[in-house]
Amino acid sequence: MALYALRRLLGMILVMLTVSLLVFALVEATPGTVAMRVLGPYASEEQRQLWLAANGYLEPAWSRYLHWLGRFATGDFGASIRYRAPVADVLWPRLGNTAVLALWTLVVLVPVSLVLGVLAGVREGSPLDRLLSTAAIITTSIPEFASAVLLSAIFVFKLQLLPGTSAMTDGFDWRQLVLPVAVLVLYDVGYVARMTRISVAEVIAAPYVRAARLRGLSWPRVIIFHALRNALITPITVLAVQVNWLLSGVIVVEVFFAYKGFGSLLWEAALNQDIFVIQACAMVAVVVTVATQVAADLAHAALDPRLRAPAPADR
Amino acid sequence: MTDPRLSRPSRPWAARGLHPAVHELAAALRAGAISRRTFIAAASRLGVAAPVAAAIAGVWRRAAAAEPAVPPPSPAAGGTLRCSMNVKEVSDPAIFDWSEKANVVRHMVEPLVRIDAANIARPWLAERWQASDDLKTWTFFLRRDVVWSNGDAFVAEDVAFNVRRWLDPQTGSSNLSRFAALTTSVATGKTTADGKPVTSTSLAAGAIEIIDDHTVRFHLTRPDVSLPESFADYPALIVHRRFSEEGGDLTKNPVGTGPFRLAEFVVGEKAVLVRRQDRPWWGGSPRLDRIVYLDHGDDAGAQLAALASGQVDCNFRSSIEQIDTISRIPGLKLYQTTTASCGVARMRVTEKPFDALAVRRAIQAAIDHDEAQRLVFRGYGAPGEDHHVAPLHPEYAPLPKRRRDLERARQQLSDAGYRNGIRLVIDCVASPPWEANVCKVFAEMLKPAGIELAINVLPGATYWDRWQSTPFGFTAWAHRPLGIQVLNLAYRSNAGWNETGYANPAFDALLDEASGIIDPGKRRPVMDKLQRTLQDDAIIVQSTWRPTFMAAHERVHGLVMHPAEEHHFEGVWLAAS
Repeated sequence: MALYALRRLLGMILVMLTVSLLVFALVEATPGTVAMRVLGPYASEEQRQLWLAANGYLEPAWSRYLHWLGRFATGDFGASIRYRAPVADVLWPRLGNTAVLALWTLVVLVPVSLVLGVLAGVREGSPLDRLLSTAAIITTSIPEFASAVLLSAIFVFKLQLLPGTSAMTDGFDWRQLVLPVAVLVLYDVGYVARMTRISVAEVIAAPYVRAARLRGLSWPRVIIFHALRNALITPITVLAVQVNWLLSGVIVVEVFFAYKGFGSLLWEAALNQDIFVIQACAMVAVVVTVATQVAADLAHAALDPRLRAPAPADR
Repeated sequence: MTDPRLSRPSRPWAARGLHPAVHELAAALRAGAISRRTFIAAASRLGVAAPVAAAIAGVWRRAAAAEPAVPPPSPAAGGTLRCSMNVKEVSDPAIFDWSEKANVVRHMVEPLVRIDAANIARPWLAERWQASDDLKTWTFFLRRDVVWSNGDAFVAEDVAFNVRRWLDPQTGSSNLSRFAALTTSVATGKTTADGKPVTSTSLAAGAIEIIDDHTVRFHLTRPDVSLPESFADYPALIVHRRFSEEGGDLTKNPVGTGPFRLAEFVVGEKAVLVRRQDRPWWGGSPRLDRIVYLDHGDDAGAQLAALASGQVDCNFRSSIEQIDTISRIPGLKLYQTTTASCGVARMRVTEKPFDALAVRRAIQAAIDHDEAQRLVFRGYGAPGEDHHVAPLHPEYAPLPKRRRDLERARQQLSDAGYRNGIRLVIDCVASPPWEANVCKVFAEMLKPAGIELAINVLPGATYWDRWQSTPFGFTAWAHRPLGIQVLNLAYRSNAGWNETGYANPAFDALLDEASGIIDPGKRRPVMDKLQRTLQDDAIIVQSTWRPTFMAAHERVHGLVMHPAEEHHFEGVWLAAS
């Protein structure tokens, strides 16, 4: 197990180094852009050149890459052009905000989707299963930007029940969290529920479940103590991937509701060519992606002994 | 409390020290040759306080009502005005490039001159100014009752420090172009990659003279009729004389002369301004306790949602697409004004195929300006005439209306050697959407003339990287009070913001002549020639004068929409909800 984890960690570092090179190459290719961002569109060429020289932008790219990587490894992501502050000062609070959004989404998403998935899965083909499956397909096929508009139109503009934006500028306000969480849950719940349903249905049909039932155990007992342990392996892997989606894939929802999270930070940085922020965001997104992947693999291995068993000897 | 600017005793218009041209202007006004509005604008540029000019024109009351500096009777005191607007980085006014930035700090640091909502230059930190007959020497007399929030008196050295700093190329301020008449260019001895000599532009020696603590004189290298307007533009907010020594960051060291103090600032999130407590503001007492700007990102829909659910009281800007929605939301009020801001489809004359005059003329001839105005702005605003001088400008010369002429367009294209038509690409920004909409309308209008126009929609930042170099681009230009200002900035040979690469010595000479005439009536014949030259040389297609919109709740009073979208909230108050 330890060797398995180590192998995954080394792979993760290699992926990150490759991505760092790509990110740097993509963003730093045009030094004129940086001066333009800092000095604004109307600065003269003379003013731009002076700024570039003063800020080390005329150094060769490889030297800037090594410097950047060295600083990055020690937690210094450089200074944001747009915010005129260290990137770390901006990035961590934003990441924290997105984590809050992700957490509340998971708090709603996990129980709802698992319960619905299990209910549908244990009685495959029942009217309840059909109803849940149809609803799941509908909600999953509505993209976030459409459901955000729909929910806003109803709850903000028509009924005037909820605040229209979620900037949380005066501190945490649960009412501002309702719509973004609702949109995210609506989009994802169908997918996770369906994955759970398939997995549960598969396990229910397995011979060992029938054997348990034939021994006279009650249905709830069979499902809770025998079927679910195996049936939940797939949903847990799926949920681990959702964490990654919730951290870097929620740009649409954050921008729509003006939520000050990681996604909207990346979006604004890209619009404003805030180079160091883009670099840091990209790296963080990669860390999150790879780390959740590794965590999912490890969890999967912990739940399923077959995965961590040594390779079978020659027969 | 009465606004001291208005309670100041009116000086008789024939008093000593008045610019001689004021007499001529007054005569022109009496004869009906110029409008009262034109008179006030021109006289205030000559150093006559706007209320005095208005009194001369016999419209004192009407002018004062144009922008009530004093709140209307029995307004409520106190409260917080919340405005949805991008909260951008505001550490240094000298390098501001967006009006949103200035809106935050204008309530704390102030300009020498302010353009009011009627497009008239009014004295602000400078109580008056005087120009020499040749318009090359300008003397600004500063208010004596202005005190910085750190207790220092506001003096001439503050102004001199700011101007010196703006005109140092190291600062990176756009004021370097705006105050070009105060600068000289010297050769650096270096050359660019394509062999052109590199020059360095900075403050001319002896350009600033401090007469006494409250009088500062500027010696210009060429006449500049728009110096007061330049002092009113958003990067010309005056910071304290020790601004650089004390860190050069307004957000960390909020020292100002204005009625509010920046108490909290998080870029991209919010800016909180609190009414100044240390001593009364020179301009009286504002009604609001606090002004809070909240950033709802770049999605216009989010601003509207914040308004609809009462999270804010007003917004910075609404798009034309939103005005129907706004009118349907109970309790919201729409504000609208026509501006001298516009979008210019400008052709870079040094790049193929736009180096051919016939190609440029073909493009112009195929455009129907009235129709473009109707399609994009639903009839709000005004149609343009391809010369970037607005009917709102006091010196605007009416020219024969431009008509779409497809036959002429095809002929011109054929003359240029494109008998089978031509394919072009125009760069424009993705947001605000009206800019791409104008390009789409152009593309449709150009088709019958044999011109296929592809639209390359870019994020704002990407566009601004190439706005001066792209062969064909659609650039938004901000409102400026005088037509001559825009022409000097954008169409003079080698001007800092000359995006077309246009270089016409005859045009430059006319521009010099116009820039030396203070009377808009006398300037108009020269403007006529300038406008015609720009039309004939066909370097831009300028179809629309942009209307601007904003929305506010009905409880907000004293709000006046400014043509340059400047916020002057010291006169705003909130009715009890």
